[in-house]
Amino acid sequence: MTIKRYYHGFEIVKDNCTGCTSCVRVCPTEAMRVREGKVEIDATRCIDCGNCVSVCKYKALVPHPDPLEKIRKFPYSAAIVTSAFAGQFSENISYKEVLAAVKKLGFNLVIEESMITGFMVRLIREYVRENKHIRPILSSNCPAVVRLIQVRFPSLLPNLLLMESPMGILAQYYRQKIADEQKLEPEEIGIFNIIPCIAELTATHAPEGARQKLYDGAFSIKVIYNEVKQILNSGEKLDTDFESYDAGLAWTLSGVEADLVDCDDIRTLSVNGIENVKDVLSKVEDHYLDQYDYIVVRNCKNGCVGGVLNVENPFVAMSRIKKLTKEARKVEFDDSEISEMNRQDAFKVDPILPRSMMKLDPDIKIALTKMKKLNEILTQLPGLNCSACGSPNCYSLAEDIVQGRAALDDCIILLKQTKEEEK
Amino acid sequence: MAEYIKVNPMYQDRIEEVFQTNINPEIVLEFEIHENDFVNSGKGSAELKVTIKRLGVDPAIMRKVAVAAYEAEINITAHSRGGVMTSNIFPDYVHIVFQDRGPGIEDLSKAMTPGFSTATDLVREMGFGAGLGLPNIERNSDIMKLDSAKNESTKLDVIIFFH
Repeated sequence: MTIKRYYHGFEIVKDNCTGCTSCVRVCPTEAMRVREGKVEIDATRCIDCGNCVSVCKYKALVPHPDPLEKIRKFPYSAAIVTSAFAGQFSENISYKEVLAAVKKLGFNLVIEESMITGFMVRLIREYVRENKHIRPILSSNCPAVVRLIQVRFPSLLPNLLLMESPMGILAQYYRQKIADEQKLEPEEIGIFNIIPCIAELTATHAPEGARQKLYDGAFSIKVIYNEVKQILNSGEKLDTDFESYDAGLAWTLSGVEADLVDCDDIRTLSVNGIENVKDVLSKVEDHYLDQYDYIVVRNCKNGCVGGVLNVENPFVAMSRIKKLTKEARKVEFDDSEISEMNRQDAFKVDPILPRSMMKLDPDIKIALTKMKKLNEILTQLPGLNCSACGSPNCYSLAEDIVQGRAALDDCIILLKQTKEEEK
Repeated sequence: MAEYIKVNPMYQDRIEEVFQTNINPEIVLEFEIHENDFVNSGKGSAELKVTIKRLGVDPAIMRKVAVAAYEAEINITAHSRGGVMTSNIFPDYVHIVFQDRGPGIEDLSKAMTPGFSTATDLVREMGFGAGLGLPNIERNSDIMKLDSAKNESTKLDVIIFFH
């Protein structure tokens, strides 16, 4: 049997881990365990939501974005800036100055995710109309949700919008365009994402369903924010004589994608926050939400401004982006070439494969035996769900015991009882 | 008692076996359903769905189980004095028994007609009562058996095979 390894955008620093189990308790897919005092991750179950990274107080779970020096390895490099980035800076700094400062970091070109918001709305509407036999279509914009569907809701994989994300589309388009204009080989061009969350970091390095290489690396908003602040504070003269695409920025906020796609013949729903997403996906499984044509599902509350690699409070960032969008000059991005690529199906992705974690065993007979044993063990456990054993709750400890990954005396309450009886 | 039975021809030869009384399921899940308790209605089928997922049943079949069980649970909540949902899981099928405490169905063939409903205003206000419950259950099950009569209790058997 071959074991598929899954890439993740963060790593464990075992020396820093105190075994506190904070991460174990917030993991939406029960992928984390503390064993022998240190945290472990089930790489198959992890969906890169970032909950664990945000609760760890001991720097034991750290994102690993690429080092900024990586851009110098390429004769030509471009940055694709996520729209959430615009919400990180106070209002006395213009967004154009921010983008100009990003360029100063050593990029030849700065691309904005917001350039193709209008194009995305058309692409999604077209897809939803063409796939009338599938309802509802689920947005594939949030990589954490795509992975959640792979591990917990595999029956909904056919409902995913099988198209590249805005960043994926821009990466594909600009790699070709720059290669043509600069007379370079496509692989001589470095395309880097500036991203708000762990899931995007993972998706940059291991995109699901992608038919070709899209990106060369990703930098977190936190790192870029610091660098940009230094440039802005240095008083250096910045060239701001270019257009920025502020009108499309709000796409990054929760609710906006659904509102933009919604029209007479397409009814949409917007859901955010991982627990809400889990609940809604379960209802989609029951055909309870078939009346919706398109559902936008995002891991973070408030949308991408809620990602763990942001600097600013998500509500403040949201308000700033709304202001930028409201005051935006109407600048049209010429998407005729992108539209042409789309007509040739350039942005389709391959069907996404399941990573089922729910199964107790590949053989249903053995799974039944295991489940009986699991239920038996469960009656012996105290039901406190304290996580002191290192598993998230009593049910998962029972599961771990059945799977041979833990023992009954890992339960501290049971152990205490046995010790008292011995006395 | 009147009886309505529908069998997927593929499983015609399994009918006698699945309705035997002396067979022991591997796992039994029992769930109490209360009259007009729309807040908790659906929890029994949700629990069954998770169990079916854990057993590694094909996702498409898992969805059939989820839909049939959910609709039947809502039916008991909306139309009866409450009852019990018992899910009997065997290695290659699940047999769910919904037993309520009355008041029974007067005309079974009418009840099976899409669009026919006796739902009260309260039920309709909750977003149910479109008259699609039983036909939906029928569509999603391999064997469905409904036993009822006016002023009697109703028993619904739903059987879905895993292969």
